Amino acid sequence: MAKSTKQQLEPQHNPSINLKGTLIAVMLLGVFILATWFGCYYLFLSR
Amino acid sequence: MMNPLKIAKQDARLYMSFMYVTFASLLVGGLMGLLQTLARSGKFTLPFNINYYTILTVHGVILGLVLTTFFIIGFQFALMGKTVGISDKQRKAGWWAFWLMLVGTVMAAVTILVGQANVLYTFYAPLRAHPAFYIGLALVIVGSWVAVFTNFRQLYVWKKANKGQKSPLLAFMVVINMAMWFIASLGVAASVLIQFIPWSLGYAETINVLLSRTLFWYFGHPLVYFWLLPAYMAWYAIIPKIIGGKLFSDSLARMSFILLLMFSIPVGFHHQLTEPGIDPTWKFIQVVLTFMVVIPTLMTAFSIFATFETTGRRLGHKGLFGWFKHLPWKDVRFLAPFIGMVAFIPGGAGGIVNASHQMNSLIHNTIWVTGHFHLTVATTVILTYFGIAYWLVPHLTGRRLTPRLNKLGIIQSIIWTVGMTIMSTAMHIEGLLGGPRRSNFSTYAGGDQVQSWIGYQMAQAVGGTILFIGIVLMVYIFIQLAFFAPRGVEEFPIAEEEVDAEPTPKLLENWYLWIGITIALILFAYTIPVFDILKHSPPGSVPFDWPIGRY
Ligand code: HEM
Ligand SMILES: [Cu+2]
Repeated sequence: MAKSTKQQLEPQHNPSINLKGTLIAVMLLGVFILATWFGCYYLFLSR
Repeated sequence: MMNPLKIAKQDARLYMSFMYVTFASLLVGGLMGLLQTLARSGKFTLPFNINYYTILTVHGVILGLVLTTFFIIGFQFALMGKTVGISDKQRKAGWWAFWLMLVGTVMAAVTILVGQANVLYTFYAPLRAHPAFYIGLALVIVGSWVAVFTNFRQLYVWKKANKGQKSPLLAFMVVINMAMWFIASLGVAASVLIQFIPWSLGYAETINVLLSRTLFWYFGHPLVYFWLLPAYMAWYAIIPKIIGGKLFSDSLARMSFILLLMFSIPVGFHHQLTEPGIDPTWKFIQVVLTFMVVIPTLMTAFSIFATFETTGRRLGHKGLFGWFKHLPWKDVRFLAPFIGMVAFIPGGAGGIVNASHQMNSLIHNTIWVTGHFHLTVATTVILTYFGIAYWLVPHLTGRRLTPRLNKLGIIQSIIWTVGMTIMSTAMHIEGLLGGPRRSNFSTYAGGDQVQSWIGYQMAQAVGGTILFIGIVLMVYIFIQLAFFAPRGVEEFPIAEEEVDAEPTPKLLENWYLWIGITIALILFAYTIPVFDILKHSPPGSVPFDWPIGRY
């Protein structure tokens, strides 16, 4: 595909695109990481 | 986006040569892994008086250094050939890389196998291996540099022929990984060439131990990213195609690789947190830099979920997580890397624990660490490599991944998951109970604490046995795909951009800028501490041979 056509297109965002699941999944990932860290930190403090 | 090229027969032969070494290494290294877990269970003694540390060195060197490097360089050559092409001269250079690396590998492997290099894959001084071990390692590194500069040249030639075009994403990623590898391996090469080889040959009487360990870990952390980035290449740019979707964002993918490059090297001190002789301030600074990796990692996670969700929703799946259902669970090219992604969640979380100074003291040198990197490298990375091999090998040999082989692959992935869950979980727990890594079975003269480890060591032997079955199955599948599967055309999947994707900013291809920042960060994080090490070091150490059974 020629590059020029791509640049002419206005970046048109598909309004139907829905990334709610992604947002929640990444949040859960963050929570898991924090839980692991604090779990080990607690173990460290308690020893 | 350019149309991918066709891979010629003689090019395929080069790429496959790297694959043969990869899977031969898997079998040899896997057997050692099995023996280790059996020996550590306490129920089994190694036959023929074999030294535990010989097999552990073989395992670490062959799987951690040889298998990974050969797979990566072969895969990356294939990616470059597919996206930007390879000339006759470049192919010749590729063969030079291959043979140099192979000769080096054989030299090092034979030296280990005859018991002259029981120094483990980190070869810490003052343990002294036979010089052939270090010379072999140096050849592997030099061979890999030939591959580095060939890949650079491939992209450069393509750029000249396609003025103004952005480079293909996969070629860009390969060059990032090779730039990182080159900058990092300068450290270990310097240590091997300037410190170890003269010292092992007896030309230098003593060695600066702290300096050698610092140079090793200057290389050792980027080493693990060097393993990981090819997996990321597949996650970003290949998996979307396999699941019938598009690239989520070309710019995001490039930015995350750039961040990984910048934050891969100035962080080696997180492996040396317990090391005396390094100022804690610099340890702290390098730990902060280490934690920056959270950014590209979560960017990657976001991008992967978003690809899944966008593709699923396009296919009409509703609900918050309905899109999970559309994923091609029965396609091993997807399933194996997917399991790898899942393993990276506990793997990554464990890594953050390891890098936190206080908690590092909880797990340092315990078998927890081994449990950690068997999740990351030996599951996340290796299952993604397997997932690549299922299509790459038949693509290169002009064969097909048949439904039967696909099914065997799925069984393989499940066996690996079960075996590794058992082995790695047991290692993590035993580590928290203080069980040491890098040590043969011992009752430590009947210490109480030791009793709490033994059950977990048995579990590791069970997991290890299951894993070894998985390795045998994988090698069988590889041989089928390489030599016996029916002839045909297997797709080389490369994801395309969305039609309305936003253009990638030119800035992302400004190599001077990104490599400049990388070097600046390295100089910032290492100059003063290395200067301190050189200035304030105690006298160097003479070599020690007897602790590793050399006389
Ligand atoms: C059959 C599968 C495997 C088994 C049973 C296994 C088992 C083990 C065990 C028990 C150890 C620790 C021994 C000790 O510290 O005393 C170990 C170390 C190690 N393994 Fe594995 N492993 C397997 C696969 C892999 C794979 C696929 C890789 C890499 C791609 C790998 C890389 C390593 C490395 C780098 C070490 C560290 C060696 C050292 O500390 O010097 N292993 N393995
Ligand atoms: Cu590290």
